[in-house]
Amino acid sequence: MGSKASTLLREEEIEEIKKETGFSHSQITRLYSRFTSLDKGENGTLSREDFQRIPELAINPLGDRIINAFFPEGEDQVNFRGFMRILAHFRPIEDNEKKSVAVSEPLNSRTNKLLFAFRLYDLDRDDKISREELLQVLRMMVGVNISDDQLGSIADRTIQEADTNGDNSISFNEFIKVLEKVDVEQKMSIRFLH
Amino acid sequence: MTSGTGPRGRPGAGRGLPERGLLLLLVLVLLEGSVVFPLGAASSPDVDPRGHSEDRAVAEESQNYSKKAFPVLSLDYHHIHVPFEIALWVLLASLMKLGFHLIPRLSSIVPESCLLIVVGLLVGGFIKLAGEKVPPVLDSQSFFLCLLPPIILDAGYFLPIRPFMENLGTILMFAVVGTLWNAFFVGGLLYAVCQIQPGNPSDLHNLELLPCLLFASIISAVDPVAVLAVFEEIHINELLHILVFGESLLNDAVTVVLYHLFEEYSGAGTVTILDGVLGVISFLVVALGGVLVGAIYGFLAAFTSRFTSHVRVIEPLFVFVYSYMAYLSAEMFHLSGIMALIACGAVMRPYVEANISHKSHTTIKYFLKMWSSVSETLIFIFLGVATVDGPHSWNWTFVTVTVLLCLVSRVIGVIGLTFVINKFRIVKLTTKDQFIVAYGGLRGAIAFSLGFLLEEKHFPMRDMFLTAIITVIFFTVFVQGMTIKPLVELLAVKKKQEAKRTINEEIHTQFLDHLLTGIEDICGHYGHHHWKDKLNRINKKYVKKCLIADERGREPQLIAFYHKMEMKQAIELVESGGGFKPPSALPSTVSMQNIQPKKPAAAKPVQRALPQLPKGREEEIRTILRSNLQRTRQRLRSYNRHTLVADPYEEGFSDFIIKKQKIIELEKKIIHMNNLTLPAAPPDSPTLCRARLASGTETDFKPAQQQKGKQSSPDPQAYRPKRDSVPTIQVDLASPQSPDSVNLMDEFRANGSRREEEEDQGLTMRPRGEDGRREQLTRCLSDPGPSADEDEDEPFLP
Repeated sequence: MGSKASTLLREEEIEEIKKETGFSHSQITRLYSRFTSLDKGENGTLSREDFQRIPELAINPLGDRIINAFFPEGEDQVNFRGFMRILAHFRPIEDNEKKSVAVSEPLNSRTNKLLFAFRLYDLDRDDKISREELLQVLRMMVGVNISDDQLGSIADRTIQEADTNGDNSISFNEFIKVLEKVDVEQKMSIRFLH
Repeated sequence: MTSGTGPRGRPGAGRGLPERGLLLLLVLVLLEGSVVFPLGAASSPDVDPRGHSEDRAVAEESQNYSKKAFPVLSLDYHHIHVPFEIALWVLLASLMKLGFHLIPRLSSIVPESCLLIVVGLLVGGFIKLAGEKVPPVLDSQSFFLCLLPPIILDAGYFLPIRPFMENLGTILMFAVVGTLWNAFFVGGLLYAVCQIQPGNPSDLHNLELLPCLLFASIISAVDPVAVLAVFEEIHINELLHILVFGESLLNDAVTVVLYHLFEEYSGAGTVTILDGVLGVISFLVVALGGVLVGAIYGFLAAFTSRFTSHVRVIEPLFVFVYSYMAYLSAEMFHLSGIMALIACGAVMRPYVEANISHKSHTTIKYFLKMWSSVSETLIFIFLGVATVDGPHSWNWTFVTVTVLLCLVSRVIGVIGLTFVINKFRIVKLTTKDQFIVAYGGLRGAIAFSLGFLLEEKHFPMRDMFLTAIITVIFFTVFVQGMTIKPLVELLAVKKKQEAKRTINEEIHTQFLDHLLTGIEDICGHYGHHHWKDKLNRINKKYVKKCLIADERGREPQLIAFYHKMEMKQAIELVESGGGFKPPSALPSTVSMQNIQPKKPAAAKPVQRALPQLPKGREEEIRTILRSNLQRTRQRLRSYNRHTLVADPYEEGFSDFIIKKQKIIELEKKIIHMNNLTLPAAPPDSPTLCRARLASGTETDFKPAQQQKGKQSSPDPQAYRPKRDSVPTIQVDLASPQSPDSVNLMDEFRANGSRREEEEDQGLTMRPRGEDGRREQLTRCLSDPGPSADEDEDEPFLP
């Protein structure tokens, strides 16, 4: 499984990933080839350096956070299963899935998509986006030209708008509520070609 | 803002005195019109020969000059008759628009376009009854050169770029493939029907295939004017609106190519494969060429606007003239003028809006809306007039088959295309969506004008064509236009979201954009987000530097959005409550975000919150105040018209607030010194001063002149202690870079002990920063980013 020779994906693994994430066979193989092309060390897992080698990611304001999202708590390597699990969040929601009453919600449901985005804000995992966390994200997106106070007032206003229970931070439910008018299904979906 | 109810909210007011006057005026204008036109029509054909004869007469007269009585008052209609008639038509159209709102029930059932056509029919009828020749009002010269461009420019300038680009693939499919399908299906089947038509062999059997195809290509294009007119009133959701509207705009290229192709070759009688290939190439040239011409003019306009900071008054002119020239240049090369106009407007908008002043922006917006609305009205009226006038040749078979085929082909086309498109879309189009798209395929005046352009000698069937075109137009506008609104309600189609975009949505949307771009890069998938991001980057790095004057382009979209929001709130505050009434009387419109009702710890009288100031300190304060005040004033004056509060109303407002605050602060201090009691003051007098005094920080806002305080204060400047909990509105008019746009909330949170200040803070104004650094100028309110401006999506016509 970890040796250099067996970098091929086995059928049963593909089946498992298919069940877990809902990707189709061809999508999984395609993403696997992408995974291997990123994996310079050829050990079946990706490290942070592998991600950082992607040039466009370096200029993305949220690049680091996105990379961190792939790595589970405390670990430094992510295998293909983990890679696919994260990417599954961005699969478009299909019509038949909307109506299916699955035991556990599929990874690409609206709530799970939003949860993924929420976790990118909420670094300390306390289920709340505090003012500091919001400020950090704003600072990353806006650049260096804007003063702290300016950003501070924007952050405050953002929290005021969203905060319904008065705890001066945005909880996940408040986050969902604020984005209810935004078409999250379209915004957070990538069309992985068949 | 609750000002949107308009005349429809007045049920019984239709018969008041002013309205009767308006109706009387309408009738007068109509009568005058129908009298004047015969006069004008009778005289206009004679102008030229008469001109010659007049010359000769003058020549003769100069030879044998006989003295007549000097004419004190004379009538010379020919001199002015052309502009007079044009003005009369415009006046008629505008009065009609006013008139419709007098009958609110009618205008809610019947869309305006239908009413206008009926008016046109009436006017045409009047003129015909008067026995005179109807002026050829919808001749293609005036239509394509004068009436159509304003509407298209308005559409293109305010086109919501983001949804348009996101759905561009779908729109192109509908526009190109859909129109082609329509044209060939209708043309082919029409020809077949005509051939097998039994009975009268004379008329229809002579109809060749190519004229049929030409006719079909004219009739198959969805018309942007009609779509705009009808869809504006049904407030449908953004996706459907942009799909149908985008299709109507982009199919112009197809129509142009098909029209010219078939017109050229219907004389020859056959079309070869080579012609077909040339047609395809021609299509690409027409479409892309049109867009290119438009983009070039757009960049020129953007570049020009960079230098207009000294002559603000002609800024709107550049926008209009460059756009019109783009249209004319495209028409000159037989490229698609509509696409050129759209491209020009869409390209120039973000840069021009970053450069021009707020007033110019308002001017452009209102002029465009005014022209396009008048144009649209005129077009529909003229359609009615031309119907009465036009040479008609009714042929039951032809007309009914045409109408039927148009409907059928549209439905089949939409269903078929959606089936293919849905394979590539993330958000699929539902059956309801498909129905609306199919039902919204209205034909309009462009089809008629194109038919009008046909020459009689090449197309002996021209009259029949025109009749059929008019019937289809009437059918779609009347039947489909009238029933689409109830159908939308019936099918519970998603409506347009009226709420403004919140700052949360703005931030999170940008966040999601970055996130998706990152994920796409990780997957190696060069999708939508990737290219958009690349384009944005190039835009920021190279293009903006070139086209936007100095620092204005650097402001991130988020900050601009935030400022715009704050400014809107400030304006709303003023408009709603005058800003100086007791806060409890403030209407709920202001109580949106940013208002935190704070319960006072107790209803304290004023004096207790103020510390005692020794006399020496008072002097010190006054000198500091005076010098500070001057600096503040200078800073305000150094903003010229391009900066934040360009509106004189707003300028006055902020000045007034500042002055008022200062005066109140000063008064408080003076009272305190002299132990006077002041009469009650409006409770919203910002206790920012009080807060700052209490918290010990030096207030930046200092009273203007001490003299004012010593006078007996007039009422508005009197001071009343507050009793109830007061909503707090923070209005941040500071520049984006102001370092002391200190959030008063923060101050309070920081100084937790000073709870007494929580009572109320009326309008807190942040002073400009006092560092030497040059403040970044905030240019006009409109967003440099094309997508975040919700304002322009509002239907302007009530």
